Amino acid sequence: MQKSTIPFLLTSLFVLVLLVSCGSDPVKNLTSAAISQSTYKAPYFSDSKTDYVYKTNISVYGNEMSGIFVVKRISKTAHRVVFTTEFGNKLLDFEISEKDFKVNSIVEELDRKMLIDTLVEDFRLLLRENYTIAQQFDSGNSNVLQARDGRNFNYLFVSKTDGKLTEIRHTTKRKQKISVTFSSENNIFAESITIQHYNIRLKIAFNHFKNQ
Amino acid sequence: MKIKTFLLAFFTLFTVATYAQEQKMTDNETAAFRQSVNAVSKKIQSLSTDFTQFKHMDFLAKDIETSGKMYFKEPDKLLWQYKKPYNYTIVFKNGKILINDEGNKSAMDVGSSKIFAKLNKLIIGSVSGNLFDDKEFIISCFKTKDFNVAKLIPKDAALKKYIRQIELSFDKQDHTVEQVRLVESAEDYTKIVFKNKVQNAKVDDSVFTN
Repeated sequence: MQKSTIPFLLTSLFVLVLLVSCGSDPVKNLTSAAISQSTYKAPYFSDSKTDYVYKTNISVYGNEMSGIFVVKRISKTAHRVVFTTEFGNKLLDFEISEKDFKVNSIVEELDRKMLIDTLVEDFRLLLRENYTIAQQFDSGNSNVLQARDGRNFNYLFVSKTDGKLTEIRHTTKRKQKISVTFSSENNIFAESITIQHYNIRLKIAFNHFKNQ
Repeated sequence: MKIKTFLLAFFTLFTVATYAQEQKMTDNETAAFRQSVNAVSKKIQSLSTDFTQFKHMDFLAKDIETSGKMYFKEPDKLLWQYKKPYNYTIVFKNGKILINDEGNKSAMDVGSSKIFAKLNKLIIGSVSGNLFDDKEFIISCFKTKDFNVAKLIPKDAALKKYIRQIELSFDKQDHTVEQVRLVESAEDYTKIVFKNKVQNAKVDDSVFTN
Protein backbone atom coordinates (compact mmCIF):
# COMPACT_ATOMS: atom_id res chain seq x y z
CA MET A 1 0.00 0.00 0.00
CA GLN A 2 2.76 2.27 1.07
CA LYS A 3 4.55 1.76 -2.24
CA SER A 4 1.68 2.78 -4.42
CA THR A 5 1.21 6.18 -2.76
CA ILE A 6 3.98 7.97 -4.58
CA PRO A 7 2.98 6.96 -8.11
CA PHE A 8 -0.60 7.84 -7.19
CA LEU A 9 0.48 11.26 -6.01
CA LEU A 10 2.56 11.77 -9.11
CA THR A 11 -0.30 10.77 -11.34
CA SER A 12 -2.65 13.12 -9.51
CA LEU A 13 -0.14 15.92 -9.81
CA PHE A 14 0.29 15.21 -13.50
CA VAL A 15 -3.47 15.16 -14.07
CA LEU A 16 -3.79 18.36 -12.08
CA VAL A 17 -1.07 20.10 -14.11
CA LEU A 18 -2.66 18.84 -17.30
CA LEU A 19 -6.07 20.13 -16.21
CA VAL A 20 -4.70 23.52 -15.18
CA SER A 21 -2.74 23.99 -18.36
CA CYS A 22 -5.67 22.83 -20.49
CA GLY A 23 -8.00 25.22 -18.68
CA SER A 24 -5.83 28.22 -19.36
CA ASP A 25 -4.59 27.27 -22.81
CA PRO A 26 -5.49 30.28 -24.95
CA VAL A 27 -5.84 28.27 -28.15
CA LYS A 28 -7.69 25.34 -26.64
CA ASN A 29 -10.19 23.80 -29.08
CA LEU A 30 -8.73 25.73 -31.97
CA THR A 31 -7.38 23.98 -35.02
CA SER A 32 -4.59 25.47 -37.09
CA ALA A 33 -5.60 26.95 -40.44
CA ALA A 34 -3.99 28.68 -43.40
CA ILE A 35 -3.65 32.47 -43.14
CA SER A 36 -6.42 34.02 -45.25
CA GLN A 37 -5.40 37.66 -44.75
CA SER A 38 -2.10 39.22 -43.72
CA THR A 39 -3.66 42.23 -42.00
CA TYR A 40 -6.90 42.99 -40.17
CA LYS A 41 -8.66 46.28 -39.39
CA ALA A 42 -10.85 46.32 -36.27
CA PRO A 43 -13.96 48.34 -37.13
CA TYR A 44 -15.53 49.58 -33.91
CA PHE A 45 -13.76 52.84 -32.97
CA SER A 46 -12.37 53.89 -36.33
CA ASP A 47 -14.65 56.77 -37.39
CA SER A 48 -13.27 60.21 -36.46
CA LYS A 49 -16.71 61.86 -36.85
CA THR A 50 -18.51 59.65 -34.35
CA ASP A 51 -18.84 60.40 -30.62
CA TYR A 52 -18.74 56.94 -29.06
CA VAL A 53 -20.78 57.24 -25.85
CA TYR A 54 -21.43 54.34 -23.46
CA LYS A 55 -23.07 53.90 -20.06
CA THR A 56 -20.40 51.98 -18.22
CA ASN A 57 -20.30 49.71 -15.17
CA ILE A 58 -17.02 48.76 -13.58
CA SER A 59 -16.83 45.89 -11.13
CA VAL A 60 -13.49 45.70 -9.33
CA TYR A 61 -12.88 43.29 -6.41
CA GLY A 62 -16.56 43.42 -5.46
CA ASN A 63 -16.87 47.21 -5.69
CA GLU A 64 -19.23 48.67 -8.23
CA MET A 65 -18.72 51.96 -10.06
CA SER A 66 -20.65 53.47 -12.90
CA GLY A 67 -20.47 56.40 -15.24
CA ILE A 68 -20.30 57.56 -18.82
CA PHE A 69 -17.48 56.49 -21.10
CA VAL A 70 -16.69 58.61 -24.14
CA VAL A 71 -14.30 57.81 -26.97
CA LYS A 72 -13.37 59.97 -29.92
CA ARG A 73 -10.81 59.29 -32.58
CA ILE A 74 -8.65 62.42 -32.65
CA SER A 75 -5.99 61.46 -35.20
CA LYS A 76 -4.85 58.59 -37.39
CA THR A 77 -3.22 56.91 -34.43
CA ALA A 78 -4.80 58.35 -31.27
CA HIS A 79 -8.10 58.32 -29.37
CA ARG A 80 -9.35 60.59 -26.62
CA VAL A 81 -10.91 58.60 -23.78
CA VAL A 82 -12.98 60.26 -21.04
CA PHE A 83 -14.85 58.72 -18.12
CA THR A 84 -17.35 60.90 -16.20
CA THR A 85 -19.92 60.34 -13.46
CA GLU A 86 -23.61 60.42 -14.42
CA PHE A 87 -23.61 64.05 -13.18
CA GLY A 88 -20.92 64.89 -15.70
CA ASN A 89 -17.91 65.25 -13.39
CA LYS A 90 -14.84 64.10 -15.22
CA LEU A 91 -13.01 61.25 -13.50
CA LEU A 92 -10.33 60.60 -16.08
CA ASP A 93 -9.27 61.97 -19.43
CA PHE A 94 -6.62 60.12 -21.49
CA GLU A 95 -5.14 60.36 -24.96
CA ILE A 96 -4.07 56.92 -26.13
CA SER A 97 -2.30 55.50 -29.15
CA GLU A 98 -0.58 52.15 -29.68
CA LYS A 99 2.75 53.47 -28.42
CA ASP A 100 1.95 56.54 -26.32
CA PHE A 101 -0.48 57.77 -23.75
CA LYS A 102 -1.05 61.06 -22.04
CA VAL A 103 -3.09 61.73 -18.91
CA ASN A 104 -4.96 65.01 -19.47
CA SER A 105 -6.61 64.73 -16.06
CA ILE A 106 -7.48 62.19 -13.38
CA VAL A 107 -9.15 62.58 -9.99
CA GLU A 108 -6.95 61.93 -6.95
CA GLU A 109 -8.85 58.79 -5.91
CA LEU A 110 -8.04 57.05 -9.21
CA ASP A 111 -4.50 58.37 -9.61
CA ARG A 112 -2.69 55.06 -8.98
CA LYS A 113 0.00 53.80 -11.34
CA MET A 114 -1.25 50.20 -11.33
CA LEU A 115 -4.80 51.27 -12.12
CA ILE A 116 -3.71 53.63 -14.90
CA ASP A 117 -1.47 50.92 -16.45
CA THR A 118 -4.36 48.42 -16.37
CA LEU A 119 -6.81 50.88 -17.94
CA VAL A 120 -4.33 51.89 -20.63
CA GLU A 121 -3.78 48.21 -21.52
CA ASP A 122 -7.57 47.69 -21.67
CA PHE A 123 -8.25 50.80 -23.73
CA ARG A 124 -5.46 49.93 -26.18
CA LEU A 125 -6.99 46.52 -26.68
CA LEU A 126 -10.41 48.09 -27.18
CA LEU A 127 -9.27 50.83 -29.57
CA ARG A 128 -6.48 49.27 -31.61
CA GLU A 129 -7.34 49.28 -35.30
CA ASN A 130 -4.51 47.65 -37.26
CA TYR A 131 -3.24 44.13 -36.80
CA THR A 132 -0.63 42.09 -38.65
CA ILE A 133 -1.70 38.46 -38.69
CA ALA A 134 0.96 35.93 -37.70
CA GLN A 135 -1.11 32.75 -37.54
CA GLN A 136 -4.66 31.65 -38.14
CA PHE A 137 -6.90 29.12 -36.42
CA ASP A 138 -10.41 27.77 -36.77
CA SER A 139 -12.83 27.58 -33.84
CA GLY A 140 -15.75 26.11 -35.77
CA ASN A 141 -17.86 29.29 -35.88
CA SER A 142 -15.04 31.78 -36.29
CA ASN A 143 -11.81 32.40 -38.08
CA VAL A 144 -9.33 33.17 -35.33
CA LEU A 145 -6.55 35.55 -36.32
CA GLN A 146 -3.48 35.68 -34.13
CA ALA A 147 -1.46 38.90 -33.92
CA ARG A 148 1.57 39.64 -31.79
CA ASP A 149 1.19 42.34 -29.15
CA GLY A 150 4.69 42.95 -27.76
CA ARG A 151 5.52 39.78 -25.83
CA ASN A 152 1.84 38.83 -25.77
CA PHE A 153 -0.73 37.79 -28.34
CA ASN A 154 -4.16 38.90 -29.46
CA TYR A 155 -6.59 36.36 -30.87
CA LEU A 156 -9.29 38.00 -32.97
CA PHE A 157 -12.46 35.97 -33.40
CA VAL A 158 -14.15 36.86 -36.69
CA SER A 159 -17.49 35.18 -37.35
CA LYS A 160 -17.55 32.96 -40.44
CA THR A 161 -21.22 33.70 -41.11
CA ASP A 162 -21.28 37.52 -41.08
CA GLY A 163 -17.65 38.64 -40.77
CA LYS A 164 -18.24 40.39 -37.43
CA LEU A 165 -15.45 40.78 -34.88
CA THR A 166 -16.97 39.15 -31.79
CA GLU A 167 -14.05 38.75 -29.41
CA ILE A 168 -10.43 39.65 -28.75
CA ARG A 169 -8.46 37.40 -26.40
CA HIS A 170 -5.30 38.94 -25.00
CA THR A 171 -2.93 36.20 -23.87
CA THR A 172 0.57 35.41 -22.81
CA LYS A 173 2.13 32.30 -24.36
CA ARG A 174 0.33 30.12 -21.85
CA LYS A 175 -2.51 32.04 -20.29
CA GLN A 176 -5.45 34.17 -21.23
CA LYS A 177 -5.20 37.54 -19.48
CA ILE A 178 -8.10 39.60 -20.84
CA SER A 179 -11.03 39.06 -23.13
CA VAL A 180 -12.99 41.76 -24.91
CA THR A 181 -16.35 40.67 -26.31
CA PHE A 182 -18.36 42.78 -28.73
CA SER A 183 -21.96 42.68 -29.79
CA SER A 184 -22.69 44.64 -32.93
CA GLU A 185 -25.61 44.79 -35.32
CA ASN A 186 -23.78 46.19 -38.31
CA ASN A 187 -20.08 45.44 -37.70
CA ILE A 188 -19.36 49.20 -37.74
CA PHE A 189 -20.54 50.06 -34.28
CA ALA A 190 -20.55 47.90 -31.14
CA GLU A 191 -23.72 48.32 -29.06
CA SER A 192 -22.32 46.49 -26.07
CA ILE A 193 -18.81 45.52 -25.03
CA THR A 194 -17.42 43.60 -22.05
CA ILE A 195 -13.82 43.62 -20.88
CA GLN A 196 -13.12 40.70 -18.57
CA HIS A 197 -9.82 40.22 -16.74
CA TYR A 198 -8.67 36.77 -15.67
CA ASN A 199 -5.66 37.59 -13.47
CA ILE A 200 -7.44 40.30 -11.45
CA ARG A 201 -11.10 40.63 -10.46
CA LEU A 202 -11.99 43.36 -12.89
CA LYS A 203 -14.87 43.54 -15.35
CA ILE A 204 -15.99 46.54 -17.38
CA ALA A 205 -19.31 46.54 -19.22
CA PHE A 206 -20.13 49.19 -21.84
CA ASN A 207 -23.64 49.78 -23.18
CA HIS A 208 -24.06 52.31 -25.93
CA PHE A 209 -26.79 54.86 -25.48
CA LYS A 210 -28.31 56.95 -28.19
CA ASN A 211 -27.76 60.64 -27.57
CA GLN A 212 -31.22 62.27 -27.52
CA MET B 1 -3.95 98.83 -43.19
CA LYS B 2 -7.23 97.45 -44.46
CA ILE B 3 -6.73 94.31 -42.44
CA LYS B 4 -6.01 96.36 -39.35
CA THR B 5 -9.22 98.34 -39.79
CA PHE B 6 -11.16 95.14 -40.36
CA LEU B 7 -9.69 93.53 -37.26
CA LEU B 8 -10.39 96.61 -35.17
CA ALA B 9 -13.98 96.73 -36.42
CA PHE B 10 -14.36 93.01 -35.85
CA PHE B 11 -13.09 93.14 -32.27
CA THR B 12 -15.13 96.25 -31.46
CA LEU B 13 -18.24 94.51 -32.76
CA PHE B 14 -17.37 91.35 -30.89
CA THR B 15 -16.83 93.25 -27.64
CA VAL B 16 -20.12 95.09 -28.04
CA ALA B 17 -21.88 91.82 -28.78
CA THR B 18 -20.45 90.19 -25.67
CA TYR B 19 -21.31 93.22 -23.64
CA ALA B 20 -24.89 93.21 -24.89
CA GLN B 21 -25.22 89.54 -23.99
CA GLU B 22 -24.12 89.91 -20.42
CA GLN B 23 -23.82 93.00 -18.31
CA LYS B 24 -22.31 93.21 -14.84
CA MET B 25 -24.80 94.42 -12.22
CA THR B 26 -24.12 97.57 -10.26
CA ASP B 27 -23.60 97.22 -6.51
CA ASN B 28 -27.18 98.32 -5.83
CA GLU B 29 -28.58 95.90 -8.42
CA THR B 30 -26.47 93.08 -6.97
CA ALA B 31 -27.70 93.76 -3.44
CA ALA B 32 -31.35 93.87 -4.56
CA PHE B 33 -30.97 90.72 -6.66
CA ARG B 34 -29.28 88.74 -3.89
CA GLN B 35 -31.91 89.85 -1.40
CA SER B 36 -34.75 88.69 -3.69
CA VAL B 37 -33.11 85.32 -4.30
CA ASN B 38 -32.46 84.77 -0.59
CA ALA B 39 -36.06 85.68 0.27
CA VAL B 40 -37.42 83.20 -2.32
CA SER B 41 -35.03 80.39 -1.44
CA LYS B 42 -35.96 80.73 2.25
CA LYS B 43 -39.59 80.07 1.34
CA ILE B 44 -38.80 76.88 -0.60
CA GLN B 45 -39.86 73.88 1.44
CA SER B 46 -40.02 71.49 -1.48
CA LEU B 47 -39.42 71.52 -5.18
CA SER B 48 -40.07 69.14 -8.04
CA THR B 49 -38.94 69.74 -11.59
CA ASP B 50 -38.06 68.08 -14.88
CA PHE B 51 -34.49 68.57 -15.94
CA THR B 52 -32.30 68.15 -19.00
CA GLN B 53 -28.56 67.82 -18.56
CA PHE B 54 -26.07 68.71 -21.28
CA LYS B 55 -22.49 67.53 -20.84
CA HIS B 56 -20.30 69.63 -23.08
CA MET B 57 -16.76 68.68 -24.04
CA ASP B 58 -15.07 70.60 -26.82
CA PHE B 59 -13.81 67.51 -28.64
CA LEU B 60 -17.31 66.02 -29.03
CA ALA B 61 -19.54 66.77 -32.03
CA LYS B 62 -22.61 66.89 -29.79
CA ASP B 63 -23.30 67.46 -26.10
CA ILE B 64 -24.25 64.32 -24.17
CA GLU B 65 -27.90 64.82 -23.28
CA THR B 66 -29.64 63.06 -20.39
CA SER B 67 -32.93 63.95 -18.71
CA GLY B 68 -35.29 63.08 -15.90
CA LYS B 69 -36.98 64.32 -12.77
CA MET B 70 -35.67 65.98 -9.62
CA TYR B 71 -37.23 66.30 -6.16
CA PHE B 72 -35.94 68.39 -3.27
CA LYS B 73 -37.27 68.69 0.27
CA GLU B 74 -35.94 70.88 3.08
CA PRO B 75 -33.49 70.68 4.66
CA ASP B 76 -31.38 68.18 2.74
CA LYS B 77 -33.33 65.52 0.88
CA LEU B 78 -32.61 65.37 -2.82
CA LEU B 79 -33.42 62.90 -5.58
CA TRP B 80 -32.12 62.94 -9.14
CA GLN B 81 -33.83 60.44 -11.37
CA TYR B 82 -32.42 60.03 -14.86
CA LYS B 83 -35.04 58.47 -17.13
CA LYS B 84 -33.52 58.99 -20.55
CA PRO B 85 -31.58 57.43 -22.14
CA TYR B 86 -31.06 55.17 -19.09
CA ASN B 87 -32.59 54.66 -15.64
CA TYR B 88 -30.32 55.90 -12.89
CA THR B 89 -31.42 57.32 -9.55
CA ILE B 90 -29.27 59.04 -6.95
CA VAL B 91 -30.69 60.06 -3.57
CA PHE B 92 -28.99 62.30 -1.01
CA LYS B 93 -30.49 62.02 2.48
CA ASN B 94 -29.35 61.82 6.12
CA GLY B 95 -25.69 61.98 5.12
CA LYS B 96 -26.07 59.03 2.77
CA ILE B 97 -26.04 58.58 -0.97
CA LEU B 98 -28.36 55.90 -2.33
CA ILE B 99 -28.03 54.74 -5.92
CA ASN B 100 -30.23 52.66 -8.19
CA ASP B 101 -28.48 51.87 -11.45
CA GLU B 102 -30.93 50.02 -13.74
CA GLY B 103 -32.11 47.98 -10.74
CA ASN B 104 -28.70 47.57 -9.04
CA LYS B 105 -28.92 49.27 -5.66
CA SER B 106 -26.04 50.59 -3.59
CA ALA B 107 -25.39 53.04 -0.76
CA MET B 108 -22.49 55.04 0.64
CA ASP B 109 -21.79 57.58 3.35
CA VAL B 110 -21.29 61.17 2.30
CA GLY B 111 -19.44 61.77 5.55
CA SER B 112 -16.51 59.63 4.50
CA SER B 113 -15.59 62.16 1.84
CA LYS B 114 -15.30 65.85 2.65
CA ILE B 115 -15.34 66.73 -1.01
CA PHE B 116 -18.55 64.75 -1.55
CA ALA B 117 -20.18 66.62 1.34
CA LYS B 118 -19.23 69.91 -0.32
CA LEU B 119 -20.49 68.76 -3.72
CA ASN B 120 -23.71 67.61 -2.07
CA LYS B 121 -24.22 71.01 -0.46
CA LEU B 122 -23.44 72.66 -3.74
CA ILE B 123 -25.97 70.60 -5.70
CA ILE B 124 -28.72 71.26 -3.15
CA GLY B 125 -27.79 74.95 -3.04
CA SER B 126 -27.87 75.16 -6.85
CA VAL B 127 -31.37 73.78 -6.95
CA SER B 128 -32.83 75.90 -4.18
CA GLY B 129 -30.83 79.03 -4.98
CA ASN B 130 -29.37 79.01 -1.48
CA LEU B 131 -25.72 79.28 -2.43
CA PHE B 132 -24.83 82.89 -1.74
CA ASP B 133 -22.19 82.20 0.87
CA ASP B 134 -19.36 84.73 0.58
CA LYS B 135 -17.15 82.61 2.85
CA GLU B 136 -17.28 79.73 0.33
CA PHE B 137 -17.39 81.61 -2.97
CA ILE B 138 -16.31 84.73 -4.78
CA ILE B 139 -19.65 85.89 -6.16
CA SER B 140 -20.32 88.21 -9.06
CA CYS B 141 -23.70 89.03 -10.60
CA PHE B 142 -24.73 89.78 -14.18
CA LYS B 143 -27.86 90.40 -16.16
CA THR B 144 -28.69 89.08 -19.62
CA LYS B 145 -31.78 89.50 -21.76
CA ASP B 146 -33.41 86.43 -20.21
CA PHE B 147 -31.83 85.86 -16.82
CA ASN B 148 -30.14 87.28 -13.78
CA VAL B 149 -26.89 85.35 -13.49
CA ALA B 150 -24.74 84.67 -10.42
CA LYS B 151 -21.21 83.37 -10.98
CA LEU B 152 -19.59 81.63 -8.07
CA ILE B 153 -15.91 80.74 -7.87
CA PRO B 154 -15.13 78.24 -5.08
CA LYS B 155 -12.58 79.39 -2.51
CA ASP B 156 -11.92 75.84 -1.31
CA ALA B 157 -8.90 74.46 -3.21
CA ALA B 158 -10.17 70.86 -3.14
CA LEU B 159 -13.56 71.82 -4.55
CA LYS B 160 -11.96 74.08 -7.13
CA LYS B 161 -10.13 71.09 -8.61
CA TYR B 162 -13.50 69.65 -9.60
CA ILE B 163 -15.45 72.80 -10.36
CA ARG B 164 -13.84 75.99 -11.52
CA GLN B 165 -17.04 78.04 -11.56
CA ILE B 166 -20.76 77.63 -10.94
CA GLU B 167 -23.16 79.78 -12.92
CA LEU B 168 -26.74 80.02 -11.70
CA SER B 169 -29.29 81.60 -14.02
CA PHE B 170 -32.39 82.93 -12.26
CA ASP B 171 -35.82 83.74 -13.65
CA LYS B 172 -36.18 87.52 -13.58
CA GLN B 173 -39.77 87.33 -12.30
CA ASP B 174 -39.87 84.63 -9.63
CA HIS B 175 -36.12 84.53 -8.76
CA THR B 176 -35.86 80.74 -8.89
CA VAL B 177 -33.02 78.85 -10.59
CA GLU B 178 -33.69 78.09 -14.26
CA GLN B 179 -30.27 76.82 -15.30
CA VAL B 180 -27.09 75.65 -13.64
CA ARG B 181 -23.75 75.56 -15.41
CA LEU B 182 -20.91 73.75 -13.68
CA VAL B 183 -17.71 74.78 -15.40
CA GLU B 184 -14.88 72.27 -15.02
CA SER B 185 -12.38 73.81 -17.41
CA ALA B 186 -12.24 76.07 -20.45
CA GLU B 187 -13.29 73.13 -22.66
CA ASP B 188 -15.65 71.38 -20.38
CA TYR B 189 -18.94 72.12 -18.57
CA THR B 190 -22.24 70.57 -17.49
CA LYS B 191 -25.42 72.56 -18.05
CA ILE B 192 -28.68 71.60 -16.34
CA VAL B 193 -31.92 73.21 -17.48
CA PHE B 194 -35.03 72.97 -15.28
CA LYS B 195 -38.57 72.82 -16.67
CA ASN B 196 -42.08 72.43 -15.19
CA LYS B 197 -41.02 73.52 -11.71
CA VAL B 198 -43.50 73.05 -8.87
CA GLN B 199 -42.72 74.78 -5.57
CA ASN B 200 -43.91 73.75 -2.13
CA ALA B 201 -46.30 71.04 -3.25
CA LYS B 202 -46.50 68.10 -0.86
CA VAL B 203 -43.57 65.76 -1.50
CA ASP B 204 -43.77 62.54 0.45
CA ASP B 205 -40.63 61.28 2.22
CA SER B 206 -41.09 57.94 0.46
CA VAL B 207 -40.06 59.62 -2.80
CA PHE B 208 -36.47 59.72 -1.53
CA THR B 209 -35.66 56.03 -1.85
CA ASN B 210 -33.69 54.09 -4.39
